[in-house]
Amino acid sequence: MSQIEIEGRQFEVDGDGFLEEPELWNEEVARLFATTDGTGELTDKHWSVVNYIREYWEAEGTAPMIRKLCQHSGLHLREIYELFPMGPAKGACRIAGLPKPDGCV
Amino acid sequence: MSVVKRMTPDRQRALNLLKERLDGRLRSHLNSCVRCGLCGESCHYYLTKADPRYLPGYKVDQIAGVFRRYYTLIGRLFPRWVGARDFDEETIEEMVDVIYGACTMCGRCSLHCSIGVDIVYLIRTARSMLAEIDLVPPGLQSTVDAAVETGNNMAIPREELVDTLQWIEEDLQLDLEDENASIPLDRKGARVLYTLNPREPKFFPLSISAAGKIFHVAGEDWNISTHVYDVTNYAYYSGCETTAAELTRRLYDEAVKLEAEVLLLSECGHGFRSIRWEGPQWINRPYPFEVRSVIEQIADYIRSGRIRLDPALNQQPVTLHDPCNLVREGGVFESQRFVLNNSVQNFIEMTPNREDSYCCGGGGGQLSMSRYRERRIEAGKLKADQIRETGAKIVATPCHNCIDQIMELNLVYKLGIQVKTVAELAADALVRTEKS
Repeated sequence: MSQIEIEGRQFEVDGDGFLEEPELWNEEVARLFATTDGTGELTDKHWSVVNYIREYWEAEGTAPMIRKLCQHSGLHLREIYELFPMGPAKGACRIAGLPKPDGCV
Repeated sequence: MSVVKRMTPDRQRALNLLKERLDGRLRSHLNSCVRCGLCGESCHYYLTKADPRYLPGYKVDQIAGVFRRYYTLIGRLFPRWVGARDFDEETIEEMVDVIYGACTMCGRCSLHCSIGVDIVYLIRTARSMLAEIDLVPPGLQSTVDAAVETGNNMAIPREELVDTLQWIEEDLQLDLEDENASIPLDRKGARVLYTLNPREPKFFPLSISAAGKIFHVAGEDWNISTHVYDVTNYAYYSGCETTAAELTRRLYDEAVKLEAEVLLLSECGHGFRSIRWEGPQWINRPYPFEVRSVIEQIADYIRSGRIRLDPALNQQPVTLHDPCNLVREGGVFESQRFVLNNSVQNFIEMTPNREDSYCCGGGGGQLSMSRYRERRIEAGKLKADQIRETGAKIVATPCHNCIDQIMELNLVYKLGIQVKTVAELAADALVRTEKS
């Protein structure tokens, strides 16, 4: 476990910067995390992705497949990669306060 | 009382594992390091931070010292004379830290070793000992567990995979303007069984679309299994060989069931090494099918004229990162270059490359072990510098694990690049003839 400080606020995160306690997440956390990974300011499009991931995770305990993400947000795949330079896993899921997914990510 | 009797049952299990594996080959590699230190100059950890604990020889000595202590006469009698080391808490802690936490099993040190010690083999054996006593770092172990329990390392349920592949298929038909374009599923007797990295259907499906597009244009007789669909084998990295064998057996059984002639692997370094080279040993039988990387197959399509590519369709400068397990450890050197030379206008090699390429830092299961992230990024600086020097705007690499690490290097070291699979670039360069 380690700590990061963003704009004066401290967060307990794992080595990859994912929130240690996902339940502590809120929109402010998302906004702050997005400033550290090249995502920048969160637009409505970002929020539609982040909120969907968050809701899905709260219901299902896992991140949604990219297909669902595209279908629910109405965004094209390539748009999602542009919105989140670190990709859906290390970018969007991290901003949505999920724990780091297993696998090659 | 003998040392062995004082050992806790746990630790004794690890020592027993070492003993069981002690054949002539293992003994000779454990006994051979002459401490010349040349390996340091080959290791991306040591080259980016000259900490003696990062020397491959030091890492090797963690297991060799334990071997001397318990399985050599002089080490048992006079441990200090020969640098023999008790397998105690301190030793184990250090082993976990450098064997898991400071090695990607990239094999560059083995290549440069003055006497040819197979260092990766020793690291794997040490990892096997640690895995035997449940000391695999959490993220790596949970990735292995997910594969064992759910059939794939991202726990993707079968229905989700099927829906995703159908979604990609619809897109493929639009893209190719051909309603016959398809992603065939579970087709017994198809020549090629194509196996994915779960991260493709979960988060990064462009590489599936690319492969599907190429197969369609080449007129390949192929399919994807919706029962076994994981090219990775993280047990290779955790060191648990019984699990590695189990995961291989599943893929083997599926390929046999579907009567595949070729088990074609998506772009994955350690998956290629595991399935192509280690698998037959693990499951103790030869394969009745051929195992190839998809990039070898694409190269064949180009050579035989089954697909035509126009490099002018990829104008940006492209460089190539050689995944260690596919290239140095896997023997696939030229296919990726041949495909890229046919797919892009301006291909620039990194230096060094091929068998001498530097690891990106993401291998060895590092990507899944959050606790070593800082080291992983620090050690990746060598690769970041290499990339920057080429001036390329796109880094192609036939390995999803490398892609993720390079994406992160891109962010940290501000490289301003895009990272793609080789198949993606080839698919972007495809020229449609009337026939296809």
